[in-house]
Amino acid sequence: MAYVSMGEAHRRITEYLNRFCGAVSYQDSPMLCRLLSFSSNSPSLLSLADALNVFQDASILIRQSDKFSEYGEILAHLFRSLQSYRFGNLVEAYLAFEKFANAFVQEFRNWESAWALEALYVVCYEIRILAEKADKELTSNGKSPEKLKAAGSLLMKVFGVLAGKGPKRVGALYVTCQLFKTYFKLGTVNLCRSVIRSIETARIFDYEEFPRRDKVTYMYYTGRLEVFNENFPAADTKLSYALQHCNPKRERNIRMILKYLIPVKLSLGIIPKDELLQKYNLHEYMNVVQALRKGDLRLLRHALQEHEDRFLRSGVYLVLEKLELQVYQRLMKKIYIIQKLSDPARAHQLKLEVIAKALRWLEIDMDLDEVECIMTILIYKNLVKGYLAHKSKVVVLSKQDPFPKLNGKPVGS
Amino acid sequence: MNRRSRGSSSSSGSVGGASDSCRRRSDVPRNRNNDNNKGGDSADVSFIVGTCSSMCPERERVTRERLRDLSVFERLHGNPTKSSSDLAVKKFCRTLSAADVQASDVRPLPVLEETLRYLLSLMDSREHPFEVVHDFIFDRTRSVRQDLSIQNLASERVIHLYEEIVKFHVISRQRLQSCSGASISSMHHLNMEQLAKTLTTLYNIYDVNRKPDYIYENEAEFRSLYVLLHLNTSSGVMGEPLSLWFRKLTSNLIKSKEMCFVRKLLRSYRNGNYRSFLRTTASEATYLQYCISEPHIREMRSFAVECINNVCYKLQPYPLLRLSQNLMMKYIIFRSWMLNLYAMSVVLRYVLIPMAALCCQRSRQASAVQRKVLKTMI
Repeated sequence: MAYVSMGEAHRRITEYLNRFCGAVSYQDSPMLCRLLSFSSNSPSLLSLADALNVFQDASILIRQSDKFSEYGEILAHLFRSLQSYRFGNLVEAYLAFEKFANAFVQEFRNWESAWALEALYVVCYEIRILAEKADKELTSNGKSPEKLKAAGSLLMKVFGVLAGKGPKRVGALYVTCQLFKTYFKLGTVNLCRSVIRSIETARIFDYEEFPRRDKVTYMYYTGRLEVFNENFPAADTKLSYALQHCNPKRERNIRMILKYLIPVKLSLGIIPKDELLQKYNLHEYMNVVQALRKGDLRLLRHALQEHEDRFLRSGVYLVLEKLELQVYQRLMKKIYIIQKLSDPARAHQLKLEVIAKALRWLEIDMDLDEVECIMTILIYKNLVKGYLAHKSKVVVLSKQDPFPKLNGKPVGS
Repeated sequence: MNRRSRGSSSSSGSVGGASDSCRRRSDVPRNRNNDNNKGGDSADVSFIVGTCSSMCPERERVTRERLRDLSVFERLHGNPTKSSSDLAVKKFCRTLSAADVQASDVRPLPVLEETLRYLLSLMDSREHPFEVVHDFIFDRTRSVRQDLSIQNLASERVIHLYEEIVKFHVISRQRLQSCSGASISSMHHLNMEQLAKTLTTLYNIYDVNRKPDYIYENEAEFRSLYVLLHLNTSSGVMGEPLSLWFRKLTSNLIKSKEMCFVRKLLRSYRNGNYRSFLRTTASEATYLQYCISEPHIREMRSFAVECINNVCYKLQPYPLLRLSQNLMMKYIIFRSWMLNLYAMSVVLRYVLIPMAALCCQRSRQASAVQRKVLKTMI
């Protein structure tokens, strides 16, 4: 930490105070954003922190002038938070920032127009990030992490402030997205429900009014929730919307959307091109897609096992497991095609014994009873058209379209 | 006794009022202060330390004797107005405010252990019908959980108590099915509710004091019960979708034998593979897992009959014996189940299933009706 003289410290603090009060008086939102953005680690904020440390009690300076003391409470908490942040005391930094945020939101309420909306966004963002860091610190000290949860409550409060008739209401979606990020991190996604309900049913909100960036994020998270609940058509709609409207330059975001969209599309029988997987570095899905194309059950199982951890963490594992039936369908189709080549007259008869043999080649051992069971399910769920003759141990395929495509509907619907 | 405290883990920070601890089964006991005592500090000012030395606090016993509010199990020589310290067990009651609770009314851990041991010994009692036994143990174990929660107890001994209580709920669930009576279905519902709550608390305690990479002795089995309760996506017994739930498990747990077993079951169930489901259950399920899976076993068997009925060629009937083997049912039981279906269908005059074999209906409309019939049979 650089050495700072008393005089220099005095100068820096006063300069910040002037900037802050100026920003508020002239409604200079971008300036205010810069002044509040701790996580940007800007040199001016860091040097301010050093100055505060030297000066010890900046409240004297604040009280000196009426102009400053008007925002006395806000500034005092802000300074304390910045100091703690500089020294890596993240729990203390969070606590002070929370107090600052509360005071700031109160002021924000009193400002008639929505000029400070961007600054409010910064506050919401910072509080979430600080809370995450504070929780990390708590767990590393063997204590229980609770700050992110507290940040969630504060964000809900901000949401309440924005959920009104005035121009400030367009900010509600941004705060919603911050809430989503918080709840997803905490694992308490059921809490998303109430805020989703507010956005989607409250009459003050007109969805089209919200900024595009926020709409994309919103659709991404609600799409993910649909994936968790295995509501594939809804998930498809939402995630596709997010993909369509996402800025094409934001490759990282596109990758995140695709990570969830691909399993959903696969469940609906739609297979992505390899180039797409390559472009966005989604190698984990390559073998899955390959297995679906070839009807290779062994490859599917192997792929699931290889990336088990990753798929479980992102919550798509159970979705991918269900692709097994489609893989079986593909395998049956292949057997049918091969039979057609050698003996077209009898190709539509699939002997259970032949199917069992094919599975053995894939190193999957199944007795005839289980093969019969699988075929029964495939026919029942309309993945195969035909019937089963139990005594002859044969599946007789329909002459027309024996392997119907899913056409965008999930299996068995 | 480990007392790991956690910060406010619930929505309201207030302790009194409606948010009394005996109703909040799913919360980890919470610390009113934000400071954390690193384990070992037993001078925890916010939680009561129980001092009641018998299964039931003296003054409660006396009051209930006077009011003739004694369960059959608590009566001394059948006398409805007299009990004893060996027989009376503290009843569950919703305390309106935690501040009203006195230390002399709360039982410390050793007494709770003794109480639970006694309660569970009554499970095999033949003197009374099972509904009565269940009702008593249900209520009294709820009170045990209440005492554990008020004192914020969480240690390996406590884990063992919760595990035993879960077992009770699971076994009850099975035994209640062979009982009859008007109140059985609501008993069943309440039983499932408390099963869910006990499991949630148990999972919280597993998590609270966890050393990295460590899983408790029975943890894998008890975690696997959650999966079995959620095989069906639409039945949200405990609210959280499975995909989300799996995210939180440690890798040790996921790779454990019990979790691998239930995941295999889950896969079979979701894909409709009744053969694999039944076979896997038969070969690998523990008793507890089997009890919880029972409704799904019935479901898979019905589903199998439905599928086969739909899909099989009617001129090649499926022998009942073979089917009963595939569905792993004793032939006699299977045949009588099929006969019931037939009798039902004759009465309803909607579908015809010949006795000696299963016919298959090719048309979808007929099978839709059949499906309805089958569903009512489960």
